[in-house]
Amino acid sequence: MSDFLALILQQSINGIYLGCLYVLVALGLTLIYGVMNQINFAHADFVTVGAFAAFFSATRLFTKWMGMSDGTGYVLSIFMALAAGALLGLLVNAAVFAPLRNRSDELRPLIATIGVSVLLENAQLILFGPIPFQFDSPFAQNTIRFGKIFFSEQSVLVVIVAALAIGGLYSFMKFTFLGKALRAVSQDRETAGLMGINENFLIALTIVIASALAGMAGALLGPVIVLTPFAGASVIVKAFAIVIIGGFGNMEGTIIAGILVGIIEAFTVQYLGSGVIDLVVFVLLLFMLVVKPTGLIAERREENV
Amino acid sequence: MIGFSALKSGALAAAVGLAALSAPAIAQNVIRVGVLVPISGPASYFGVQGKEGVALALEQINRGNGINGIKLDVQFEDSACSPLQATNTVKRVLEQFKPHIVVGEECSDASLAIAPILEQAKVPMLNAGSAANQLTESGYKYVFRIFPNAAQQGVPLGRNAYTKLGARTAVLLHVKTNAGVDNADGFAKEFEAAGGKILARIDFAQDVNDFTPIATRIAALGKVDVLPTFALEGQQVRLSQALAQARVVKGGGGTGIQMGSIWLPWGFEAKAGQASQGYIRIVQFDPTEKRKMVTDFIDAFRAKYGADKTPTHINAHAYDTMLLIAEAVRRGARDSESIRDRFSKMRDVEVTTGKITFDAKGQNSDMSVIHFVETQADLSWKGLNW
Amino acid sequence: MSRRVADALSRPVRWPAFLGALVVIALLPMVLGTPYWRGILVVCAMNVLLAMSLNLVIGYTGQLSLGQSGFFAIGAYVTTVLLKSYGWNFWLAGVAAVLAAGLVGLLLAAFAARLRGHYLGIASLGFAVIVYQILINWESVTKGVRGIYGIMPPPPIRLPGLPEISFGNQATLFYLVAGIALCVYVILDNLVRSPIGETLRAIREDEISAASLGVNGARWKAFSFGVSAAIAGLAGCFYPGFVGTLVPDAFGIVESFTMLAMVIVGGMGTMIGPVIGAVVLTFLPEVLRGFGDFRLIVYGLALTLVVLFMPGGILQAWQILTARLRGTEASESTGGGR
Repeated sequence: MSDFLALILQQSINGIYLGCLYVLVALGLTLIYGVMNQINFAHADFVTVGAFAAFFSATRLFTKWMGMSDGTGYVLSIFMALAAGALLGLLVNAAVFAPLRNRSDELRPLIATIGVSVLLENAQLILFGPIPFQFDSPFAQNTIRFGKIFFSEQSVLVVIVAALAIGGLYSFMKFTFLGKALRAVSQDRETAGLMGINENFLIALTIVIASALAGMAGALLGPVIVLTPFAGASVIVKAFAIVIIGGFGNMEGTIIAGILVGIIEAFTVQYLGSGVIDLVVFVLLLFMLVVKPTGLIAERREENV
Repeated sequence: MIGFSALKSGALAAAVGLAALSAPAIAQNVIRVGVLVPISGPASYFGVQGKEGVALALEQINRGNGINGIKLDVQFEDSACSPLQATNTVKRVLEQFKPHIVVGEECSDASLAIAPILEQAKVPMLNAGSAANQLTESGYKYVFRIFPNAAQQGVPLGRNAYTKLGARTAVLLHVKTNAGVDNADGFAKEFEAAGGKILARIDFAQDVNDFTPIATRIAALGKVDVLPTFALEGQQVRLSQALAQARVVKGGGGTGIQMGSIWLPWGFEAKAGQASQGYIRIVQFDPTEKRKMVTDFIDAFRAKYGADKTPTHINAHAYDTMLLIAEAVRRGARDSESIRDRFSKMRDVEVTTGKITFDAKGQNSDMSVIHFVETQADLSWKGLNW
Repeated sequence: MSRRVADALSRPVRWPAFLGALVVIALLPMVLGTPYWRGILVVCAMNVLLAMSLNLVIGYTGQLSLGQSGFFAIGAYVTTVLLKSYGWNFWLAGVAAVLAAGLVGLLLAAFAARLRGHYLGIASLGFAVIVYQILINWESVTKGVRGIYGIMPPPPIRLPGLPEISFGNQATLFYLVAGIALCVYVILDNLVRSPIGETLRAIREDEISAASLGVNGARWKAFSFGVSAAIAGLAGCFYPGFVGTLVPDAFGIVESFTMLAMVIVGGMGTMIGPVIGAVVLTFLPEVLRGFGDFRLIVYGLALTLVVLFMPGGILQAWQILTARLRGTEASESTGGGR
């Protein structure tokens, strides 16, 4: 394989891995938007909480106190992060989304979640301090090599978990009664009411699933990012861009857009410089909005465009 | 009119708050020190460590009779690493606490913003964390800095990379901040003047997490002799690991040597693991040093903050600022003007991070303690005697 | 269009309120008489301008904009670059900066013509990110992350027969910015009470039915965005001279959200609401300094609670409270926004 081809392949692999991480963060955002037409600005902080939950369960609870191996401890910690995210989602739904639930009002929940975000970020700052925690997944340091091409075991794990999460979410939406009800709510609230399902329950469920996904993303990002109370903020702006490029509320679009942004980032670093990643991503975003405002995959929700 | 009366009552409430907060007790035999550090936001990384160092020094200095009966009174304020917040905060401290001297800020942007205000107020500013050259190159009479400026950090790295390591090619890596750009410039100028070649200059934002694409790009450049890196601990750990994974640096079986500055704290090697093997960097505060001043400081630090902790250079620099102020008081300083005078006459004053001799611009010119170390296979340091 | 604008601008001023506001502005630097509090007052006056500018787009035209920090940045940087690199007079540079911000606002309006709701919100957020990135990367003009230092306050005004007015003093700088904010308030107040205001509100309520009544939605949205951006740029003119330092980090996207919070907390879609919001959210973090490390936790909590328990903002909550005290129902006339 020529050096050039190897480079292209390597950066593509880097990009896909990065993209999968972005997809995990963006999925929750798009899910909440799809069902409720609302933006959870504190989503980034849910990711951070998940990362810390995973960190403490992987490096303390499962390994030091329960005597498991590092590998098992880390894999189990992903579920702890999932649970932490779900719990946080339940709380924020009860405190913010449920009291403010009114479909036409998109601003007040946004501002309320900004408040939640400031609160969570600074509460974690008090609890954990600003000095980065060293979260080493046992898989991050093991590198798989094929000739010049390399990737870490962690990236394989990330791709597998992302695929499982997407597959699970997709089958839930497509094949279960609750999933169908969720899709019904996202399209028409009254019909859902006619299906005899409590709308409040469905909305709580959406937020819990979305938050659990954010928590899980935190567990997988933990060994990649600089783990501080501000960690989630570093990916959230890109996650917003991905959700839009993919078409707000559109799962397939979000997945494709996430991986696309990851690849764009890798090639921007290669050919333009890492200082302009955000510039490239957001110029692409505005370009997409001009050319195809419905997102990568055409969508039904006419009212937004 | 409802709105306007609300506006008025808001102002009144603020005025009441003002009255409650102002008017510090004017006590004799006290030197007031305003400490401006970022306590909120990501830059609280510096603020938290700075507070630790200052608090420890304060405890020791004020013990018993203080300095010949004089004690230091410290007030911490959150200046958030931002020019706007820092200028507001410094005005607040100046009028409510009436400090004789101000210590801070950590971030260059904020330090550069408050320097003219303190200059105008004729209150000395002692800086121990900003690297931007401009701070002591702007002709301020009241600004003093014990932290090595960017030129003092970048230039020796560039020179030694060329002469001692025989390096001819370099890839510059730096975070896109005032200090990062200045440090990288210092290296580039010196290295290129000697005849070296900068193959690429890669800067990155403070929120970049995954460095694999950057490492891949460097790997594709072919043989690189040195990779001078200017970033904070968190990003450096990830960066070193990515460079090792891409087999660019010695830690990953490559030939490149990563070089770094005093930005990295003690303990970096333990976090980065094998990836940091072969890393050559400047150390100013060296916890392995056997100077009594250093060992005493470490013992006291552990007694206060926990036996498993080792002070970082940020802790040490903050601690040193208090030692210097105490020294000025010991030499008879009683107000802002005399503190400034004693500072400007200091020669070879020993502190934990070395010796302090302020030059005419207020920059510490004694860099005798700065030395180069190389990380060994067992992650220990080997002194290079350069 | 120009005739309707001229008509809106020539409407009578509400003199009692105007004079009352003048008195408040005149007294404030005397009540808060130290450089620190006067500095906060200057910041407050800038925030009032920013909140009013955003309110025109969000509150009256119903368009979600998260990009206001971008216009603020354009105002600040255009003024400073013209002043420092090209030796322009401050006032001339300021006018150029306001025009530049307004023109870029029209550009963003091109997106607003096609997008609605959160799509427009994120598009405008993207615009702010792009402006921020340009400030960082266009080093030859903006000096990038190194920043621009030693920026002087506006030059003194010398009028024949009057003593020189210098802006090195924070009180006079406050009078200048607050005076401008008051003028902007009066102009906007007249605007929203005029047929133009009705047109904008019609677009806010239902763009399609507005179009069926012959309202050119795209043109009036462009008007709203352009005016809003110009006002934000106007606020930006005074920022560099006040701080003395200009770095791109001052215009991160967080600033846009803070401005949005001011509008919502005060009471969107009313004239005085965003003013209250700006005052409260400027002073709150300073008054909360007593909480030390817990300051921002309290701030975040307060922001959430205000939105939860005062859905129409502080203004509406105040109206309901006073109405209850008087034993009558809250007036419907100024209920906040949508």
